Amino acid sequence: MTTLIDRYVLTAVRHVPEKQRADIDRELRASIDDAVDARLEAGEDRDAAIDATLRELGDPRRLADQYADRPQYLIGPDMYPVWRGVMKMLFTIVLPIVVVVLQTIHALADPHLGRLIGTTIGLTLTIGAHMAFWTTAVFWILERTGVGRHDLVAGEWAPEHLPKYDARVLTLPQLAAQIVWPVLLGTALVLQQFMFTDEPVLDPANWTFWWPYLLVTFALSVAYGVWVFRKAAWSHAVTVANAVLSLAIAVPVVWLLATDRFFNPAFLDSLNWGEVDDPGRWLTRIVLFSVIVGTAFGIVDTAVKAERARRGLPNRVPGTESPLRAG
Amino acid sequence: MTSDATLSSHLQELRRGTVVVASLTVLRAPGYGYSLLETLSAAGFEVEANTLYPLLRRLEAQGLLTSSWNTDEARPRKFYRTTPQGDAIADALRTEWTRLDSAITGLDKPAATDLGSNE
Repeated sequence: MTTLIDRYVLTAVRHVPEKQRADIDRELRASIDDAVDARLEAGEDRDAAIDATLRELGDPRRLADQYADRPQYLIGPDMYPVWRGVMKMLFTIVLPIVVVVLQTIHALADPHLGRLIGTTIGLTLTIGAHMAFWTTAVFWILERTGVGRHDLVAGEWAPEHLPKYDARVLTLPQLAAQIVWPVLLGTALVLQQFMFTDEPVLDPANWTFWWPYLLVTFALSVAYGVWVFRKAAWSHAVTVANAVLSLAIAVPVVWLLATDRFFNPAFLDSLNWGEVDDPGRWLTRIVLFSVIVGTAFGIVDTAVKAERARRGLPNRVPGTESPLRAG
Repeated sequence: MTSDATLSSHLQELRRGTVVVASLTVLRAPGYGYSLLETLSAAGFEVEANTLYPLLRRLEAQGLLTSSWNTDEARPRKFYRTTPQGDAIADALRTEWTRLDSAITGLDKPAATDLGSNE
């Protein structure tokens, strides 16, 4: 029969590297025996002495971690800020884009609102769990092996790295969005002709002019984003350029929608939204509304930013005093 | 956090590292794990066995201690001894400890340095 001390020592050494086991086993036994002997001399009975000694030594797995000099954490303070930055980016930018793109494709193939909401929730949870797990797993490996630690955390902080709180500049994520959205829309516009659904979603007749025209305006949107980013300043020229570009996209789209030449009639006929009557009309109305509101918001938003920049007001940070005037 | 817990966490911070100096100093004469534990607690260091034993192996890995098994007695024991390098480090740490002690004592008596007085 194994004694309590045997069980303690075996549990501890089982969790240390194999080549240290024999030595730690021997030393730990001697130390425990010494402590038990000291308690016996003080008049305790044997079982109580063993029990008290092992209690003092504590959880053998914790002791093993100390012997093996293993970190008792998943991601240490050096790596944590990098991990947090990556997670924040994944959950606020990548996850919404992926879910929206996948669900847009899904909605075109199977436009049923109830199912759509259900799969959106499921998809968000699944993708979110995968992103969190795999990112953390990679960081755990980096933490244990030390690979890449130098590149990730060596960059010493300097005052120049402070954010500018400046209304003038398009930030890098905003530039990315300004580039990614037109590219996604353009890709979707081309692919819908061949994929996603049995019938093309949009009216194929418009390939003679309007769809190529939209592709050109999407390309111009990308160029506009790069231009604003490099210009590094909102100005009235930017307001005007943005308004012209937005209207150049929105006006033809609204006109095509209003005259029922936007969607492919064959596609609208194939729609089935359950009890909703004439789903084609509803889809047209929803898209019409979204385009008008989205375009108006974009134009006003840019105009406000440009006006703030003209007056030299930096962006506000919620919870702080009203912003100081930029020198 | 209660003030007891606050105090004990600060005490722990303050004591961290003192066990290293004490062990390197005591082990200038060879000793084994349990004997060192006894010596340290008799000298007034509150150190736990589960901290001390792994610490000894780490100091050995750093070359500050050497060890050898003594099998002359019925119970074989691993004896540790401070190396010259360990002795030099312990010396530097003790000097730092003395410096900190006098620095803190100096802060505790502001009248002596005249920093706290009003003009």
